[in-house]
Amino acid sequence: MYLELARRNLGRAKMRSALAVIGILIGVMAIASIGIFSESLKATVMENFQDLANELIVTPAYSQGYLSIDERTVSKLRKIPYAESIIPIKSYTELLDYRGKKVPVNIFGIDYVEELFEVEKGGIRRGEAVAGSKIAERLNLRIGGKIIIKGEEFRISGILKEEGARFDINPNNAILISIEDFGKLKDAEYSKVIVKVESLEYIEAFKKSVDRIINSREEKVSVFELKMIIERIEDVFGQMTIFLMAIAAVSLFVAGVSILNIMLMSTIERTKEIGVMRAIGAYRGTILRIFLTEALILGVAGSIIGGVLSLAGGYAIDMLVLGSAKYIFQASSVLYIVEGILFGIATALVSAAYPAWKASRLEPIEALRYE
Amino acid sequence: MIRLVDVTKVYRSGAYEVVALNGVSMNVETGEFVAIMGPSGSGKSTLLNLIGCLDKPTEGKVFINGVDTSQLSDKGLTELRRDTIGFIFQQYNLIPTLTALENVELPTIFKGASKLERRKRAEELLSIVGLEDEMHRKPSELSGGQQQRVAIARALANNPSILLCDEPTGNLDTKSGKAVMEIIRKLNEEEGVTVVLVTHDPSVAEFAERIYKIIDGVITDVS
Ligand SMILES: Nc1ncnc2c1ncn2[C@@H]1O[C@H](COP(=O)(O)OP(=O)(O)O)[C@@H](O)[C@H]1O
Ligand SMILES: [Mg+2]
Repeated sequence: MYLELARRNLGRAKMRSALAVIGILIGVMAIASIGIFSESLKATVMENFQDLANELIVTPAYSQGYLSIDERTVSKLRKIPYAESIIPIKSYTELLDYRGKKVPVNIFGIDYVEELFEVEKGGIRRGEAVAGSKIAERLNLRIGGKIIIKGEEFRISGILKEEGARFDINPNNAILISIEDFGKLKDAEYSKVIVKVESLEYIEAFKKSVDRIINSREEKVSVFELKMIIERIEDVFGQMTIFLMAIAAVSLFVAGVSILNIMLMSTIERTKEIGVMRAIGAYRGTILRIFLTEALILGVAGSIIGGVLSLAGGYAIDMLVLGSAKYIFQASSVLYIVEGILFGIATALVSAAYPAWKASRLEPIEALRYE
Repeated sequence: MIRLVDVTKVYRSGAYEVVALNGVSMNVETGEFVAIMGPSGSGKSTLLNLIGCLDKPTEGKVFINGVDTSQLSDKGLTELRRDTIGFIFQQYNLIPTLTALENVELPTIFKGASKLERRKRAEELLSIVGLEDEMHRKPSELSGGQQQRVAIARALANNPSILLCDEPTGNLDTKSGKAVMEIIRKLNEEEGVTVVLVTHDPSVAEFAERIYKIIDGVITDVS
């Protein structure tokens, strides 16, 4: 009955109620759409990182004065179980000579290139070189083209696909040759070792083994998990989402203020009615309930419509920014919609709390006399 | 039944005060029909509102059925109004969004009656006041006389023992006014409802057994 009474009271000022509903709707939609979009953005970025999660990077313990990893350490690494592959890398910077042009490039000495990177054109051949995508583009390198590094001639056998996600080693501006060939150019130890474990659960075990076998006397190498870095990125995305949602929450705040305003107007207009109800036996709590019920209706209506529309909103932003809406129907989207709806309803109730309280505190006689 | 002891009501608005009632004492017995007459501004409504527990006296005491109302909490006063007192106002004061039937149901809803129970009671009361065919109309679709009859039905919803009427015929034409007064009289005579009625119309006051005359907040005459 109170629900029906509230519904009819809202029907009395249709325009006003509609505006309040629209306010809540926009606020909820903003929050939920942004939530959905951030989640899609995160999923899109993470897609690139997922296959890196089982990698570990072993670097020299720079803080202990180690600048490279020696052969013995690498062979110790190879003896640790759990690893699917151990890829040691040597690197240094050298001038490259191509058709008379001289440019400095990173030279990577690395075997099993295909385990880390995708080859776009050509292939990998012993004794030949593979070029990163950027350097290939910059120098206009061709498959079969000849480059000269420190007097040694290499044929380009392949060009790598552009690598976006890696931050441990970036091959885009590098020339990759075998460890053996690298040895002809420079006598250097390894600059890092990339380890792929068989499964994510082995990451800890592998790290423990490194500490026991290699770092037992002093710390020679440091081990970084890409998984940890991925988690950090997730954190950053989480914070960004909260920030964006806080901005969206401003629109919900505005909606709250408008409900506060509408309810205050409504209590003033209905002062006499409140007096009548008090006179015929309504408790203060009953008056409070009637007004809160009205706010609840506004909140629920606006929030649910807003929640449904936020799917469309999320779709629109996703299409616009990411060019794809494949991540719309994730569990997290539902979570953000539910969250938006709850926020919307809470906003309506909180905003109505003061006017409703004020209405309930009216003295019956003062309210009755009000014209 | 209703007992006022030395009741004074002073309205303070800023610097100046209005003494609306000045040392009023009166007794109304169960089943009595009492009228209060006096010129405009003499304090009639103030007196009725104090009896009806809508307002509190500045000084003095109001007893309803032997209960000292100054001792009651807001909740207690609300329940007293709900269960013991029925109000009829000059302006009818119906809730505009509710139909006649729903208006009559409202006090029973506040009391927590079941849907079936309150519907039956409201229909019964509306047929007593002769509005069985207008039950589903909104107040705006009813004439003044009809609205006042809905208000009477509403006042009776929780079976009160006291009916307080503040110029119930003040906004009505003679014929509707008469119909309303007939209903009130019948309630008093047949149901034994105590009636306190404020008016400045002598023909309305004639329905009462006793008439209090009040001028400037003081009772000057009882007849
Ligand atoms: N809330 C109020 N504030 C100040 N003065 C009031 C208030 N209510 C009534 N009065 C004054 O009290 C006196 C009695 O009023 P009222 O009881 O309404 O008289 P009546 O019903 O006989 O016309 C009048 O002078 C009126 O102006
Ligand atoms: Mg009056």
